[in-house]
Amino acid sequence: MSHTVPTANYLILAAVLFCMGMLGVLLRRNALVVFMCIELMLNAANLTFLAFARERGDSIGHLSAFFIIAVAAAEAAVGLAIVIAVFRSRGTVNIEEIQSMKH
Amino acid sequence: MNIPHLTFQDLLPVAPAGVLVVGAIVLLLSEVFLSTAQRTYQAVIGTLTALLAGAVAMNNAFEPARAALQGYVVLDPFSQWMTVLVCLGTALASLLSAGFLNHRNAERGEFYALILFSAAGMSLLAMSAEFITLFINLEVLSISTYALTAFLRRGPRPAEAGFKYFILGAFSASLLLYGAALLYGATGSTRFLDVGLALPQAFAQQPGLVYAGFGLVLAGFAFKVAAVPFHMWTPDVYEGAPTPVTALMSAGVKAAAVVALVRTFLFLVKGLSPEVPFIAFSALALLSMVGGNLLALPQRNVKRMLAYSSIAHAGYLLLGVAALFAPATAKGSDAVGLFTATPLLGSMPNVAASVYKGLLFYLLGYTVTALGAFGTIAALERREDETRSNTWDLERFAGLAQRKPGWAAAMAAFMLSLGGVPPTVGFLGKLYLFGAAVDAGLLGLAVAGVLASVAGVYVYLRVVVYMYMRPAPADAPAPFRHWTTEVALIASAVAVVALGVLPGPVTEWFSRAGMVFGS
Repeated sequence: MSHTVPTANYLILAAVLFCMGMLGVLLRRNALVVFMCIELMLNAANLTFLAFARERGDSIGHLSAFFIIAVAAAEAAVGLAIVIAVFRSRGTVNIEEIQSMKH
Repeated sequence: MNIPHLTFQDLLPVAPAGVLVVGAIVLLLSEVFLSTAQRTYQAVIGTLTALLAGAVAMNNAFEPARAALQGYVVLDPFSQWMTVLVCLGTALASLLSAGFLNHRNAERGEFYALILFSAAGMSLLAMSAEFITLFINLEVLSISTYALTAFLRRGPRPAEAGFKYFILGAFSASLLLYGAALLYGATGSTRFLDVGLALPQAFAQQPGLVYAGFGLVLAGFAFKVAAVPFHMWTPDVYEGAPTPVTALMSAGVKAAAVVALVRTFLFLVKGLSPEVPFIAFSALALLSMVGGNLLALPQRNVKRMLAYSSIAHAGYLLLGVAALFAPATAKGSDAVGLFTATPLLGSMPNVAASVYKGLLFYLLGYTVTALGAFGTIAALERREDETRSNTWDLERFAGLAQRKPGWAAAMAAFMLSLGGVPPTVGFLGKLYLFGAAVDAGLLGLAVAGVLASVAGVYVYLRVVVYMYMRPAPADAPAPFRHWTTEVALIASAVAVVALGVLPGPVTEWFSRAGMVFGS
């Protein structure tokens, strides 16, 4: 087992992906990019589950990843439909221009 | 390969959700095989399904608390009563939707099916006792609600609201999931029971991992219950969504999220220093109570005002949660502060039972009141308003008492109940919840909550003043009439007053909810 990548490396990669996704959601302006950043965050969680499951050698983490992938796909279907509805009603997916309600 | 042996007893807690899902499938099929011009029957099917599921859940609510389905869900009175409340809200929301959608030629079976799927998600969320189950049910509830929010495709608002809800909902779900992954790493399990058992040791070894997981899970939940400072999405989403959906979101989604939050943190706090969760919940409660009421003050848009008011109500609920996690210190400090618990009788009484009763009664009151208030707003909306910005202005309510005395009286009852004025159910809910907080010694926080709710009363009374003391504008449109809307409004108005005067057996039933699994 001396040639395998240590778990910590996976965890650091996952944390970096998660932070990239989080910053992207908060800072980016294009709705599709924001959407991709959310997927990145979910996959960071997936990678964390898998890294821990591999270290411990149990199956719950692997199963979790499957469920998360399935749920993320369902979410993407509805999310993309909503983005298309926004684009149809305004002709843009720029988040700063999607502000019709007063504060 | 060992296949788990499941008995009927294991399936008992999920039976209400099963009824809801079957009803939703019937509605989807009805759209294929029974598509007639007149679709009110779909709302009736939705309502009856919800009531049936509520009856099943009520039957379950008297079972003793236990784990089921190998510890992935729990059967306890707390979650089953929550399911009853969700089903009540769903039934009222279906009835309100019938008139609302009929007026817009948008009546479709899938709308009611989505409402029922969402209710099934809420019911399952409240009883989830494992992180992946929790995540899946959270998404079942959220994805249905995203679709419902963007359901009307006329005008720019629904798509915008759906989009904002989707982005922040998915963001919060990812926060929660990443937190769950970290806690899985620290404890080696995703089942709350095992997580709770392993946490003290994990905390000793890797406190950073546990704190990070705890914080992320808390932030994910705070988005769902719309607590300040995680509330930014609430006003826009509540304003843009179809009004019956807003009603369901404010009552059902919030109730389910609060119950799931309590369930999760009952296990997650094990091993942590007791001050940490207490201060976290107290701070969220204080910010939401004060912030929600203050932000509601300048709003002339009644729908948006109710959105801010729902933030304040989330704050009151979190006050109850904070009382649940008040540290039971033996050495009683006499200092009264915002984030300290001052034992009144020298030692800490066990307040859990009264907190659960308070939370459930408050949620019951908020469900019937919010459904009624949003239902009245929905009935005053005009179809041609969809692109205007002043749709829900206070002026819309001017002189309603002369034009429609019954509607004005009902709306006045809802507003007084939201403000917590007797003799309404909102007052009793606040009384139980704040009483439990005071018993737990949260004097400073309870006083802050009462002061904040006094500021809120101004907001609600302003609507009553407009209805009763301002002349109606000459071009005021009459509310549209549909028998389902009227049935729903009468039912919620009667519930608001009747439960406020004679809570009857309800309080007694909710007292038994003190039996929460794992507490």
